[in-house]
Amino acid sequence: MSDSSTKTHTVSVRLVKESPLKRYASAFAVPIGIVLLLIVGSILSDRFLTVGNLTNVIINMSIVGIIVVGMTFVFITRGMADLSVPATVAVGGILVLSLDQAIGTIPAAIVGVLVAGLAGVVNGLLIGYAKLNPVITTLATGIIVLGIAQAFVGGVIVYGDDTAAKEFINGRLFGVVPVIVLIFLVVVIAGHLVLSRTVYGRWTYAVGSNPDATEASAVPVRRVKAGAFVLTAALAGFSGVLLGISLQAARPAIGAGYEFDAITAVVVGGVSLLGGSGSIPRAIGGLLFVQLLTNIMVLQGVPSEPQGMVKGALIAGAIALDVWLRRKGGRE
Amino acid sequence: MNGLRRAFNSDTFLGLVRYRVLVILVLAVVISAIVAPSILEFRSISLSLDRIATTGLVAVGLTPVLIAGQLDLSGGAILALSGITAIGFQEQFGQLPAAALGIVVGILCGIVNAFLVVILRINSLVATLASMLFFRALSHTITDSRPISGIDPLFGLAVSRPIEGTFTLRTIIFVLIIVLLHVWLTRTVAGRNLFAVGSNPASAEASGIRSRVFVFGTFVFSGTMAGIAGVIQSLSVNTGSPVFGESTALLAIAAVVIGGTRLEGGRGSAIGTLGGLLVMATLTTVMEFKNVPAFIQDIVTGVILLLLILLDRFVSSKKGRDVSWTALLRSLHRRRQTPEIERTHAP
Repeated sequence: MSDSSTKTHTVSVRLVKESPLKRYASAFAVPIGIVLLLIVGSILSDRFLTVGNLTNVIINMSIVGIIVVGMTFVFITRGMADLSVPATVAVGGILVLSLDQAIGTIPAAIVGVLVAGLAGVVNGLLIGYAKLNPVITTLATGIIVLGIAQAFVGGVIVYGDDTAAKEFINGRLFGVVPVIVLIFLVVVIAGHLVLSRTVYGRWTYAVGSNPDATEASAVPVRRVKAGAFVLTAALAGFSGVLLGISLQAARPAIGAGYEFDAITAVVVGGVSLLGGSGSIPRAIGGLLFVQLLTNIMVLQGVPSEPQGMVKGALIAGAIALDVWLRRKGGRE
Repeated sequence: MNGLRRAFNSDTFLGLVRYRVLVILVLAVVISAIVAPSILEFRSISLSLDRIATTGLVAVGLTPVLIAGQLDLSGGAILALSGITAIGFQEQFGQLPAAALGIVVGILCGIVNAFLVVILRINSLVATLASMLFFRALSHTITDSRPISGIDPLFGLAVSRPIEGTFTLRTIIFVLIIVLLHVWLTRTVAGRNLFAVGSNPASAEASGIRSRVFVFGTFVFSGTMAGIAGVIQSLSVNTGSPVFGESTALLAIAAVVIGGTRLEGGRGSAIGTLGGLLVMATLTTVMEFKNVPAFIQDIVTGVILLLLILLDRFVSSKKGRDVSWTALLRSLHRRRQTPEIERTHAP
């Protein structure tokens, strides 16, 4: 035991000497990657570096970006990942469209977010309090919630007819800024402020880096961990609501793939799966990187199927890099 | 309250939890027999076994992975990929070599998973999540997202036709592999070592067991089983499709967990997995008999899985209790407290 701790100690001393380089490398890897993609993209295609195309990229990342904010909290608390996202997205989308005629679009949207948040409460109780394995738990709750959503609508597509709301969401404020991007930015900034400026944010990092020490410091570890899952579910429900309003159609499979997109963004942004580090700007940087890469592939005429392979490889590569860097840092 | 706690701590209760697969199976069969008496006919038993054979092979592959304390979510994607290989190469190589190639693809996928987990040291859940995404996208890419058909629809009938009116070939393969795995897990040193690796990799390593080799092997085994499952599934319907096996991973995990294998590793059995699969088969058959929609079946599977991992979390975490069946029999004969030791091997 003492042997291994001495070893760790010497490693960390060596790390102190190297750390500026390594710190800059990890902080600038994603921005440099984004700049490289911008250069490569503009060489490969004339249409890439146009205002219209880049605006489209940002509009496309808004819906999943809202989920990324929640997923970042889950990652930082060492909650691994929330795989029930497709189900909570579907709940939001289905509820807003099936209730909007009865109670109006905005109350329906609130109901959608609340019910999705309720699924998150179940996740939070099972993972934070009962300490179940997060991945299996969210896989199971996802299946259950999606099943309930399907039973609710009878397994078919729900259509809405609130064109005013649809035009508002898809429209642009003052004819310049897309409304959906504005909503996305508000969520990102709010999430970032909570994580970096509040006590809850501090607790989130503490829970992820050393749960035992945090527990001993009288931080409500279980509540913080549960909170991350509630937040993710509510934000995913909110994404579903926005998706439902902007399409005016929702089927139970509407959220399929969003969990992987969010996880890819978070890990590419360098947020560690081992918890305790990362930030929302980094995760959003990762999202921007993946979206630009996808956009370049689309402009080059790459079909959508190989893009999944790129995502899978990106997840594995980014995490392998993270694990390797942590091991070099003597912290496993 | 105190009485309740004593009841939860009693050997009988712990034994029930340990051998819950029997309890659940008996319950499932009794309920099914009441709802649909025809389920007890030999023909429907044979059919039920046949329909779980492919999921079953994936679950069998998953059992050692879980015992080693890891998880593999990519089984369904490997199933699709190897099935596509077995069908797609029939024209170039002939049917049997193509089928063999499909199994080789499964082995290769297993090696990829093992590489990610053991060499790159990525958490197995996330590693196999990433590889699942990759294999699935690969299947979609090589088939253009369209199902492909084989050259001879009669060739694959061999695996799904009952032999001499008894069981189908794939049922027999699947049961045979379960029995072999059970013997390996309980009767060989290597099999017993796997349990040690799952309980505590560091101390297993300290006792001279090469933990990483074992973990590597379990992932390759899991990939191989998923490959065999994919080849059999695709041959029996003469189709390779990139959407095959989308819910297989969860069903297989549910079956293994119902069978008493712990997600945290160090405990489990192949026969238990067979029991878990039988429970799933009984429930699916009876729900389909009653025209229960697929999404309700999903809810039932999810709820059972959640309840059981909750039960495991709260009950099996008690250490120092020997609840293997021999010890239970002993305590029935002589009701006195004997010094108990923690055992991590299979019943």
